[in-house]
Amino acid sequence: MRRKSALWIVVSGILFSIILAGCNGEGESGSEGSGAEGQTEEINLNEEVQNDGEIIEDGSLTYGLVSDSPFEGILNSAFLAAAPDGQVVQFFDEALLAVNKDFEITNDGAATFEMSDDNKTITIQIKDNVNWHDGEPVKAEDLQFAYEVIGSPDYIGSHYGSLIQMVEGMDAYNSGEADDISGIEIIDEKTLSITYTEASPAILNGIWSTPLPKHYLGDISVPDIPSSKEVRENPIGFGPFKVDRIVAGESVQYSRNDDYWKGKPKLASITLKIVNPNTVLQSLESGEVDIAETFPTDQYPNAADGENYQIIGGINNSYTYLSFKLGHYDTEKKENVMDRPKLQNKDLRKAMGYALDMEQIAENFYHGLSFPATTLIVPFFEGYHDETIEGFPYNVEKAEELLDEAGYVDVDGDGYREDPDGEEFIINFLARSGSDTSEPMAKYFIQSWNDIGLNVELVDGRLHEFNSFNKMVDDDEQKVDVFISGWGVGTDVDPSGIYGRKMPYNNSRFVSEKNDELLEAALSEEAFDTERRKEIYNEWQAYMYEESPVIPILYSYKLLGVNNRVKDYSFDTTIFGTWEEVGVTEETAE
Amino acid sequence: MWKFVVRRILIMIPQLVVLSILVFILAKVMPGDALSGLVETPGVDSSTIEDMRTTLGINDPVHVQYLNWIKGLSQGDLGTSYIHQRPVLELLEARLWNTVYLSAAILFLTYLIAIPLGITAGRFHDSLIDKLIVGYNYITYATPLFIFALLMLFVFGFQLQWFPTGGSADINLEPGTFSYYMDKIYHLLLPALSGALLATVGTIQYLRNEIIDTKMKDFIKTAKSKGVPEAKIYSHHILRNSFLPIAAFLGYEITGLITGSIFLESIFSYPGIGQLFLQSISQRDFSVVTALVMVTGVATLIGTLLSDIILSLVDPRIRVE
Repeated sequence: MRRKSALWIVVSGILFSIILAGCNGEGESGSEGSGAEGQTEEINLNEEVQNDGEIIEDGSLTYGLVSDSPFEGILNSAFLAAAPDGQVVQFFDEALLAVNKDFEITNDGAATFEMSDDNKTITIQIKDNVNWHDGEPVKAEDLQFAYEVIGSPDYIGSHYGSLIQMVEGMDAYNSGEADDISGIEIIDEKTLSITYTEASPAILNGIWSTPLPKHYLGDISVPDIPSSKEVRENPIGFGPFKVDRIVAGESVQYSRNDDYWKGKPKLASITLKIVNPNTVLQSLESGEVDIAETFPTDQYPNAADGENYQIIGGINNSYTYLSFKLGHYDTEKKENVMDRPKLQNKDLRKAMGYALDMEQIAENFYHGLSFPATTLIVPFFEGYHDETIEGFPYNVEKAEELLDEAGYVDVDGDGYREDPDGEEFIINFLARSGSDTSEPMAKYFIQSWNDIGLNVELVDGRLHEFNSFNKMVDDDEQKVDVFISGWGVGTDVDPSGIYGRKMPYNNSRFVSEKNDELLEAALSEEAFDTERRKEIYNEWQAYMYEESPVIPILYSYKLLGVNNRVKDYSFDTTIFGTWEEVGVTEETAE
Repeated sequence: MWKFVVRRILIMIPQLVVLSILVFILAKVMPGDALSGLVETPGVDSSTIEDMRTTLGINDPVHVQYLNWIKGLSQGDLGTSYIHQRPVLELLEARLWNTVYLSAAILFLTYLIAIPLGITAGRFHDSLIDKLIVGYNYITYATPLFIFALLMLFVFGFQLQWFPTGGSADINLEPGTFSYYMDKIYHLLLPALSGALLATVGTIQYLRNEIIDTKMKDFIKTAKSKGVPEAKIYSHHILRNSFLPIAAFLGYEITGLITGSIFLESIFSYPGIGQLFLQSISQRDFSVVTALVMVTGVATLIGTLLSDIILSLVDPRIRVE
């Protein structure tokens, strides 16, 4: 018995690291995906499934939610926290305002909007044919209710963001001083206006427009909503499909919402079920699932020659970066202070960027499903990503030249460069553990920097697990000079949340007046003009490239496995949730 | 007997207190908390997160948190899971039954396979059949469950398509109907069989050794020389004695019913306690972690107690003590 349990511990250690690798897939090595048009020659990845057949009437489809654990079951947009739950919700719920490719709101959704002349008030009018699944119309008070829930003093969840706080009267409501939010006014049953304390183009990007069914959830106290049956077992929305039945944590049965405001969806039913990442390929091959989201990149080499399914994909809204610790976060003043002298020389930072062969990293560690990153705004935001910036193409000579000029030369002949004062110069590198490639990758980075004569050592001589890694980065521990991490950037292009002066997530602690100016300008009134906003962000990208407090390393692709019988499904479906258009061309999966 | 049970239960109290302190402190020492995952989501204000920490009580001093936790615990309140946004007790209840079904099925199949094999191996020891059984034992002992379960899934789930490949029930069946329960059993079979085939090692080995040992005892020789038939010797004298260690382990096995198997649950996408535990550790959902360790701790103590009681029931020699 004793021997058996010892075995269990070792083995669970192995599995644990595998699972962690899965968890971190989104964050650190979000660098998983494939190439944008023109950027990868080797990999030919379609954004849309190729199918010439005719969509059959009343087809049904099985959607595989790829995860190694059950979904949590918080099926409500105001409380949504985990990605798997989001995948469950996308079929039955949506926001009132639609967005375009740049994620700016448009008038093509279930509601239309109009901005006031001073750009502080937005009036939202819900279309007449928009109804909840139980037949009740979606009303203005439902959107108001959503703000009341999220702004409630008792609300525990992560959606009480800066834009919601900017609604007039939200502070008073959130602190319990006021009974309602003064900035939200109901004009008639289907129309309401929201007034903000200041005009910001961020409203056009990030306004909360997902209503909650007040007639359905209104009697439940706010803290009890996420655990209620109305959310976990019988959630309703006004999306293209209704929830028929849920087996907690493992599967969901949806049927068509005939009353959908955009018209009758093409599929009659959808079954969602959890698929373990280890068995995704088999599930696709056997036709057990029609769609696998997200297809694991490490299995891509085995999947490339599938007969009954296709692998499609698109660019992720995330990037991996190399960050230099330039200061610390002053918790008293709540702002970043750039006070660490060690890595202040930007040529040193750039040299470290040029020393990395990012093409090789993408090729060898990510099966070519990542590609070298160039700027801090990902190409996911097609309109904002500045393509003219070339990034840091691998160039050892240039790196050495930069170091020589900056005064980092080897004076004592030990093979490593000393700092400009001739003192020994060791850079401490913090890297995260978690996936099979973490260790070889960290070694590759160190080797690359050694090759240009920099003495780089791993912090504590080893990799660090996700939570301790974050703690060391957040606390600005002195033993950390550089580290590699990743950001998922959501659908709001504004980077001030991770590069602003006041932001604790600005973990390089880089601050400058120019940076403040540009980030503010992009959120100021002049930036309501989209072209002007793009110009400002281009300027910011160029500025950050020049200063290089953070060097982007890789962009990545997200993969989807799709059965050949599926039609009109694409990478965009996963972003915009246009499930009403998806259909199948055969009765059963190939 | 009752004195013994009461004494054992009294000893459990300080054990539980020490366990609770250890569990709580170890959980708090781990870097990060359930909200640190939000760091990956820019747009969430840091002050929002700090406010949430204060609301959730994460910013209180450790001893205050511990006392609050113990207070809740004594009232049967295991806390609220941040990740799942629901009371831990509800969460455990939802997952526990799946785990109990699976573990019970594994236990049943294990005994079903192991007892006949163990008896056969012990009775005919050193014969060809014994060598085969011992061989099987060594192979299963050396086989890692997470590989074996995957293999079973590929062969019987995907290739032969005899069994469903994941989940605990078919979504299309109405809960509560006869076909729904049959379907649940159908979903259980493959994971249970995968677990059971590897879990037989201990039972077979103990049974075999005990039988061989007992066979050599003087009282068996006496019975044989008196002319008692072989079959009767086995059923009356040898087996009774040989089942002692197996019976003793039954208590521990019952503990195992609620701890679940991370590997089986993960590979067969079967939502149970084992997976919940692992997931909660990596997401730092402390209320769930501490609750699970406490529940498992209590179950282990009760399991040991049960083992002792069972043993004293089947083996009169212990009761004398």
